[in-house]
Amino acid sequence: MTQTTVGIGGAAEGTDMVLNIGPQHPSTHGVLRLRLVLDGERISSAEPVIGYMHRGAEKLFEARDYRQIIMLANRHDWLSAFSNELGVVLAVERMLGMEVPERAVWTRTLLAELNRALNHLMFLGSYPLELGGMTPVFHAFREREELQTVMEEISGGRMHYMFNRVGGLKEDMPAGWTGRARQAVAAVRGRMDVFDKLVLGNEIFRARTRGVGVLDRRTVHAYGVSGPVARACGTDFDLRRDEPYLAYGELADVLKVVTREEGDCLARFECLLEQTHNALDLADACLDRLAELPPGPVNQRLPKVLKAPEGATYAWTENPLGVNGYYLVSKGEKTPYRLKLRSASFNNVQVLTELLPGTLVADMVAILGSLFFVVGDVDK
Amino acid sequence: MSPIPGHGLAKGLAVTLRTMTRRTVTQQYPETLPELPPRSRGVIGLFEENCTVCMLCARECPDWCIYIDSHKETTPAAAPGGRERSRNVLDRFAIDFSLCMYCGICIEVCPFDALFWSPEFEYAETDIRELTHERDTLREWMWTVPPPPALDPAAEEPKELAAARKSVDKLAAEARVAVQAPPAPAAQPASAAQPAKGATAATDANTKDATDPKDATAAKDATEPKDDKGPKDDKGGERP
Repeated sequence: MTQTTVGIGGAAEGTDMVLNIGPQHPSTHGVLRLRLVLDGERISSAEPVIGYMHRGAEKLFEARDYRQIIMLANRHDWLSAFSNELGVVLAVERMLGMEVPERAVWTRTLLAELNRALNHLMFLGSYPLELGGMTPVFHAFREREELQTVMEEISGGRMHYMFNRVGGLKEDMPAGWTGRARQAVAAVRGRMDVFDKLVLGNEIFRARTRGVGVLDRRTVHAYGVSGPVARACGTDFDLRRDEPYLAYGELADVLKVVTREEGDCLARFECLLEQTHNALDLADACLDRLAELPPGPVNQRLPKVLKAPEGATYAWTENPLGVNGYYLVSKGEKTPYRLKLRSASFNNVQVLTELLPGTLVADMVAILGSLFFVVGDVDK
Repeated sequence: MSPIPGHGLAKGLAVTLRTMTRRTVTQQYPETLPELPPRSRGVIGLFEENCTVCMLCARECPDWCIYIDSHKETTPAAAPGGRERSRNVLDRFAIDFSLCMYCGICIEVCPFDALFWSPEFEYAETDIRELTHERDTLREWMWTVPPPPALDPAAEEPKELAAARKSVDKLAAEARVAVQAPPAPAAQPASAAQPAKGATAATDANTKDATDPKDATAAKDATEPKDDKGPKDDKGGERP
């Protein structure tokens, strides 16, 4: 595909250069490869080359029972493990027509929001790092540590929680955990001004992100972009509000769907930041509600061999990075016949072909980082 | 933003100064060990005395990283005319921690409580083959297994406690019936029945003072095959 036209004297025509970014590049959070065609400093076309980390998750699902699928499913997007598990169990519960105990619903909502804050903090730290700011990532990881401690205490895992089960959760929370969770949320919220002021208020940060990589709403719709990236372009869509699952229907007064109109890198970062604040507020609201709930179980007795009845369902959730869906087809076996995974990052990364052409190489990292993707979620 | 040049720099330095006055959050790891919660999934310990080689863990493991070898042993009948019994003897139990995904399914499915999570994490190796840990190492890790944390007051009772309470209630009810009814003439002393009933009855020792002939004879039957077998076989008897 390389077309090299050598101009007379080198000035009459531009010389196209093909530049590979990745697969091992620090700004790609994994092994994403970008094939850029450059015209001088300007990108004339970009093609994301994906699949370096393809693990065949969907095929593996077909040979695993539902509990084993939870373990596989929490790994494709390793930053939002809890939300990934959630989609699987919601799909299976819907197929079984299973009613989940109220305590489990609220605990799940709480953990999903803590997971969202954890995920967003990662990007709130790594994005400034990619733009050359060293400090924010340390703050971000400190806050992450605070929340991870709480998550580890309840689930035993720091990243791969493996805490959802069909019909509820693995076990109830330890005594005093809600108090410690509340403290952690308050501590994180108390220090969030580092991101509000130090990062977002930074002149260099603003200069490098404002007006850069503007994504319009039509492209968002054409590529199926979702999550904070889509909301930064004015697409007012959030499954937590528009198709409430878990307890989000009752949290409508706390839940705030953050949108921006600009669609540039700064708007995407602002969306992410405000959503983090909102996730912490939602976590507090869930803790308040959990304290009022009557005592009860958090899971249900399951049969020794759990089989989803014959049929199909599509369960989608608002994951931290966007819409995450599972299309479950069952033939009544203990393994699914097919479990299609629709991951947010896959669609969000595709939009790079539209977003990058016309921009400068220097802005490439800023745009790439602002799409907030996890390569495992792209390659599945 | 601001009209004064270098305003952002000053703000940044203010944060630096503020952070300098606070205690560091960095843990000096090899010197200070992290405090890990009891549920922390560090390593899997094997309580091999409880293992009956039912192979459920190896079968349910999503990536088949548990290796179990066993053989059958036949013990001759204890009493003349009785049938001989065979039991499984564990030869090898190994977990390949280079494959293990730390999901905990093996621990969840174990019906005899032979596998446990331990927060122990310092078992890095320089060779991937040395990450396959055999039963002796897995047994050693059992010493690092912490007791499970107490649950939230609003939580449902753990099923172990619920089961113990149920059997206590049942025995208490039986005792009450026995007190009301006149004692049977062929009743055996209650003390003979006590040791055979195991842990659940032991908690009940003071409530169960009356003698119930049916209960005592059933308990006596249970004691008989016990003389030449360890506690492992006792557990194996209740295999579903």
